[in-house]
Amino acid sequence: MIRTTVIGAWPKVSGGPTGQQLRTALHRHDRGEIDDDTLDDVFDATTRAAIGEMAVAGIDVLNDGQIRWDDLFAPFARSWSGVSRGPLERYYDNNTYFRQPVVAGPISSDGRTLVRDFETARGATYRELKAAVCGPLTFATLAVDEHYRSLERLTLAVADALAVEIAALGAAGAELVDVEDPALVAAAQHVDLAREAYLRIAAAGVPIAVQTYFFPADRVLESLASFPVAQIGIDLRSRGTTALRRLDAVKDRTIVLGVVDARNTRLETPGEVAGLIEEALKLVPADRLRVAPTAGLEYLPHDVAVKKLDALVAGAGAVEGGKPSARAGASA
Amino acid sequence: MSDILLTTTVGSFGKPEYLQKARNARARGKLSETELFELERRATTEWIRAQEEIGLDILVDGEMYRGDMVAYFAERLEGYTIGGLVRSYGNRYYHKPVISGKISRPKPMTVEWFQFAQSLTERPVKGMLTGPYTMLDWSYLESYRTRRDAALALAEVVRQEAEDLQAAGARYIQIDEPAIHARPEEIGIAIEAMGIVTQNLVAKTVSHICYGNFAAIYPQVLDLPVDRLSLAMANYGYRWLDLFARHPYTRELEIGIVDVHSHELESVEEAAEGIRKGLRYVTPEKLLPHPDCGLKTRPVDESIAKCRVVVEAARLVRAELAVVA
Repeated sequence: MIRTTVIGAWPKVSGGPTGQQLRTALHRHDRGEIDDDTLDDVFDATTRAAIGEMAVAGIDVLNDGQIRWDDLFAPFARSWSGVSRGPLERYYDNNTYFRQPVVAGPISSDGRTLVRDFETARGATYRELKAAVCGPLTFATLAVDEHYRSLERLTLAVADALAVEIAALGAAGAELVDVEDPALVAAAQHVDLAREAYLRIAAAGVPIAVQTYFFPADRVLESLASFPVAQIGIDLRSRGTTALRRLDAVKDRTIVLGVVDARNTRLETPGEVAGLIEEALKLVPADRLRVAPTAGLEYLPHDVAVKKLDALVAGAGAVEGGKPSARAGASA
Repeated sequence: MSDILLTTTVGSFGKPEYLQKARNARARGKLSETELFELERRATTEWIRAQEEIGLDILVDGEMYRGDMVAYFAERLEGYTIGGLVRSYGNRYYHKPVISGKISRPKPMTVEWFQFAQSLTERPVKGMLTGPYTMLDWSYLESYRTRRDAALALAEVVRQEAEDLQAAGARYIQIDEPAIHARPEEIGIAIEAMGIVTQNLVAKTVSHICYGNFAAIYPQVLDLPVDRLSLAMANYGYRWLDLFARHPYTRELEIGIVDVHSHELESVEEAAEGIRKGLRYVTPEKLLPHPDCGLKTRPVDESIAKCRVVVEAARLVRAELAVVA
């Protein structure tokens, strides 16, 4: 009954004999030893493998693993006009880095940034598949703004470009798009500006899941209730939070609960996961609840990421009454 | 050595090509540990000679024997395991350590390298450690109930190492905390942990902080129990100095005056201007110019050129101060 899903990026490499193929291919591409098409084949194969692993784990709603994404902004900073990729910065409280998008002119998009990836992923599974884009507030608060000179104008310009992307993903068959926006909870003072941005994004006419993570959603729960979105993602693990006891604040929306920590190797037991779900079910009906890792599992080594999915699926299965949903009869 | 505007560096230098190759060969099992060790000693010797020739006042061993600043210690402590590969950015991966048991230190981890480096020079060499909060924040945590519990356990082993360095003759001990602003709400944990590390030290203590939002932890960071903070400034256009105008800076300051992530070499005048900016808030006795961060990502010749700019800029400003005096 309780459906499972994922958020964000899947680990691109693993310890196994074929686990380093993408890493090797990228090195060879840098040295000019393989061409773009050959590299693309490796990206696609890695994407299919990621989808297969998520499906085998028993995840109900998949994504494409964001195998081509260097960071949350990279696909957009590469393809949008007005934007380039700037200096490296530490990404929130992770010891990982992103390239700051540098906005030097008006932002515009042809909407084709992610369509090919989505179509590749669509061809790799019969399961429900969602797309993802970066959040407008996260992009705007972490970018170097040399053009708009205003957080408000930049956020709305990013939202307009994202609306074009999302409309194109919808035309390609996406029925749900994650908008990953940790700044909503990291910089909660801008939540009203963000709501305006999401109104523009919603105009694309495709159901949206706003995913918040890394920080508690406590301060913005009530505000999120008025966002024009179908789903709201909440991280229960990164820091102490009271959100679990206040889920009734966001009525009528599907809640995506981050119940396994995507940033620490300590494995949750199925009992722990089930306990959180049962707590949530006191305030949210089962058909409006989904469970997920707190963020992208790429913050973990590949073998641990797989075990995290197993814990998630087993925990959700325990709530269903002990039905062994993990791995049994799964197909990609 | 003149006693104002003493020059130093943040710790790491670029590894010479022969050492890079040797480390790769060692990783593939094609070189013995002893052979690698000899090359690490050779590179350390070369860097001590280079620092003397450049004219730096307080030297470092250059960390020719270290890779990652957390993994080096994690590999030598009980209670740690080395985890699988995790991406740091682009196509770069590292083995992120896991705190998986009770932390303890079987034996000193850096003391022999300090002694070796100090034996090569009359000038003081800094002992170089990674601070307990950064060790915690850049590791996965499985075995302690809270992050504070783990930070305090790590502080105990860093304290042991720092005291051993002091006993071996170190007059300066640097305990780096580049992760200190990762979670500003945890600054109290970082301060408490550092208090354990430095409680028995009489050596001059320094903590290097870089690449994050320093404003989020200022002025609370002034309670970090060390004598000096070492801050990246050039890369940030010296904007952290504005904070000192609002709330007086009360420690000694090692100030970054050349950017370590840029191939471009600053002019001596440009770097000197950075020192002059620092002098608005800190007296020349308490201000020590250095590059923004460790130089390990720069090739050897660029590392040397950047250090030379630091030394010449300090000389220039010292001369100006002498004229004024």
